[in-house]
Amino acid sequence: MLTSAILQAINGVSLAALLFLLASGFTLSFGLMRVVNMAHGAYYLLGGYIGLSVAQKTGSFALAIVAGGAAIAVLGYFIDHFLIRRTGENHLAQVLLTVGVAFVLGDVALAIWGGDNLMVPAPKFLKGSVVLPGDVYYPMYRLVMIFFGVFVGVVLWLLYKKTQIGAVVRAGVDDREQVNATGINVDLLFVMVSALASFLAGMAGVVGGAFLTLYPGAEWEILVYALVVVIVGGLGSLGGAMIGALVVGLLDAYGRWLLPEFSYFVLFGPIALLMLFRPRGLFGKEH
Amino acid sequence: MDRGRLALSLIALAAALALPFVAGPFWTGLATQMYIFGLLALSVDLLLGHAGLFSLTHASFFAVSAYTVAILQVRYAVPTTLAAPAGILAGTLLAAVFGISVRTRGVYFILITIALGYVVWGVAHRWSSFTGGDNGVTNVPFPAIGGVGITSHTQYYYLVLAVILLCALGYRVLIRSPFGLGLRGIKASETRMQSLGYRTSAHLYAAFVLSGALASLAGVLYVYYNRFVNPVASSFPISVEAALMAIVGGSGTIIGPFLGAGVVLGLRNWVSSFFEMHHAIMGAVFIATVLWAPDGLVGIAARLRARFSRPKEPGP
Amino acid sequence: MTQLAIEVGALAKVFGGLAAVDGVSLSVPAGERRVLIGPNGAGKTTLFHCITGTLKPTRGSVRLFGRDVTRDPEHRRTALGMGRTFQITNVFPDLTLLENMTLAIVGTDRRKWVMHRAVAAFADVRRQALEGLEAVGLAGRAAQPVKLVSYGERRQLELALALNTRPKVLFLDEPCAGLSPSERQRISKMIAGLPRDITLVMIEHDMDVALGLADRVTVLHQGRVILEGTPDEVRANAEVREVYFGHG
Repeated sequence: MLTSAILQAINGVSLAALLFLLASGFTLSFGLMRVVNMAHGAYYLLGGYIGLSVAQKTGSFALAIVAGGAAIAVLGYFIDHFLIRRTGENHLAQVLLTVGVAFVLGDVALAIWGGDNLMVPAPKFLKGSVVLPGDVYYPMYRLVMIFFGVFVGVVLWLLYKKTQIGAVVRAGVDDREQVNATGINVDLLFVMVSALASFLAGMAGVVGGAFLTLYPGAEWEILVYALVVVIVGGLGSLGGAMIGALVVGLLDAYGRWLLPEFSYFVLFGPIALLMLFRPRGLFGKEH
Repeated sequence: MDRGRLALSLIALAAALALPFVAGPFWTGLATQMYIFGLLALSVDLLLGHAGLFSLTHASFFAVSAYTVAILQVRYAVPTTLAAPAGILAGTLLAAVFGISVRTRGVYFILITIALGYVVWGVAHRWSSFTGGDNGVTNVPFPAIGGVGITSHTQYYYLVLAVILLCALGYRVLIRSPFGLGLRGIKASETRMQSLGYRTSAHLYAAFVLSGALASLAGVLYVYYNRFVNPVASSFPISVEAALMAIVGGSGTIIGPFLGAGVVLGLRNWVSSFFEMHHAIMGAVFIATVLWAPDGLVGIAARLRARFSRPKEPGP
Repeated sequence: MTQLAIEVGALAKVFGGLAAVDGVSLSVPAGERRVLIGPNGAGKTTLFHCITGTLKPTRGSVRLFGRDVTRDPEHRRTALGMGRTFQITNVFPDLTLLENMTLAIVGTDRRKWVMHRAVAAFADVRRQALEGLEAVGLAGRAAQPVKLVSYGERRQLELALALNTRPKVLFLDEPCAGLSPSERQRISKMIAGLPRDITLVMIEHDMDVALGLADRVTVLHQGRVILEGTPDEVRANAEVREVYFGHG
């Protein structure tokens, strides 16, 4: 029992690491550009499929991650530039538009990769299990996933808090006028943040595809988890995304274990509580 | 109502009444679906077009109501006279719970309703011992009151037509009432409404529950038409398509959501007859609507009418 | 001694460490016309927001006819008799003037909840709305959407909305802001002609308008009250001159 509880905790944290990859991009694009991009789930799925094909051709998992991320960064740029940009700050229009984009991408992916569950092949050294203290066997991959998530989190955090670009982004999240005042090329900054967000989503698809598998519909399931992360953490907050990811990851793991038929219902709890006490999430600001 | 519109309404009504006689069962079926999903779209639009709230969880009320009817009728042989009201009640109660989402506004409201919708989908999908899992509940009978029952799709068509006409009339009174005017006031300026003495969250909550009740009614009509229900009914695409129908037809109007439902369902039927990727086509409709027709068909018609009825510029 | 309509006790509002209102106490007896003046950024509008419930004060209390309303939401304060206008015109642009007035009239009673009867069926509401528009000279515009009428007319509507919530205390935030001299005169006349049993608290930049209307004047500077007195006392005060015109 205790062993299971610990295993579920690790499961939860590794899912949290994955959700953080997806949610951080979503929350940053909203924070800086006020863009709600519902195609993030489709970016995840498509990135995963592209990584899968690259991994199958080249045998390199690292290359798959880079290719999945980069392809989606480019795709994301075009969608941003030619479609989302035209909605201004009308969130309703953005949601409808990007849902439409996600439908199109999902169908294209279905036509290319088919409807079966596919798994991105993880490299050999990540296969198999590790023995944790207390004779617990745990899949190596998911354990490394946690470190990867922490690593990306630290890199993002340093970018955000310690670099000049991060300072501008932070200022922009608080007050967009400030960015214009700094004399930085705002368009370039937006392109960079949006590319980073898309890259993270595509990359998440590859690393997630190696343990959650890829299938039609996965884009919406993962998106909803990411949305709950963002709702819990507060839109536009990177720290909120970290904490939200942990909350959702752990709730999901324990929910699946203890109440398998109602695991989605477990997600309702934190949303409801937040709505009653903090309608803008733990770290959300007025927008 | 001016005479032109009255004449148009009468012609539309006559066409609707004659449809099963002039067109075949295919078109009668499509029209029935258009009425049902138009009603769902109308329920979404009470919030969207009047109160300014974009809900993406209305498939939840639709599906919970449909499941309630199906389970009661199929498993417990409960008669329609009890099952149908129970369905509406169940969906409305869920709306009363999900209504706490009106504590949020804007993007948060949109995102939270998406998440809530997935909770219901997840339960329908995973709690298979009760909901039948992905197979859902099948063999739902036609509705019957006492010994008298519907026996054909044509009869059901007329029943649905009667129900939606009543709903449209009731809806018309509602949006013209002080309460409906209040919703439009909140959409325009919530701060001002508060300073005029309105407890705006209570107004929005009431609108949310009413809208949920209407979506539940659509769910009852749906399950008796479809004769089965599965998790698809509760899924996100249903919610977002209902909103799309309202916008395509013309948000803030009564006829708009029904027109939009006709366009969306007709297009999907037509496209899927020769092209597999009908999700992609739906996606393209979403994109095209946002970029080129944000006011929908009713908006386009109004613009055309304004262009043609404008008095000619006096010549030189 | 007459009853106090408004009693503000040591009220403060802090935004991110900066006190926009810094311990303001204010007592306005029932029936008085009080004008708040002060340079830009003195905290006048923020003080208004805190009194009427648009913002929650960081510290301090607000009493309305002796009743503590500090924690009451804005709509409750309106029901208790506070009415207000906004500095930045806040009306409903897509609705007609008549519909705007209808919202104000039914907002303070139970009719706002009626769902089964069309607005048009309430003849008395319609009559009252037209009278209200007439009072501010807008009767001829009743059927037009607000977005089609001029800025000056919107300011007049703004005032009419507040008046039709049946206020006992009326808060006017720069009712003449952005108006031409003739429109300005018209509105100040309208305000001067309000029934005397309505207590009036008003922010005004124009010293002539302010001192002409006021029974008493409160001068705010950097979130604090620096002077309270009759218009003559304020006119004569050196500190006020300094705040308004700088040294010299």
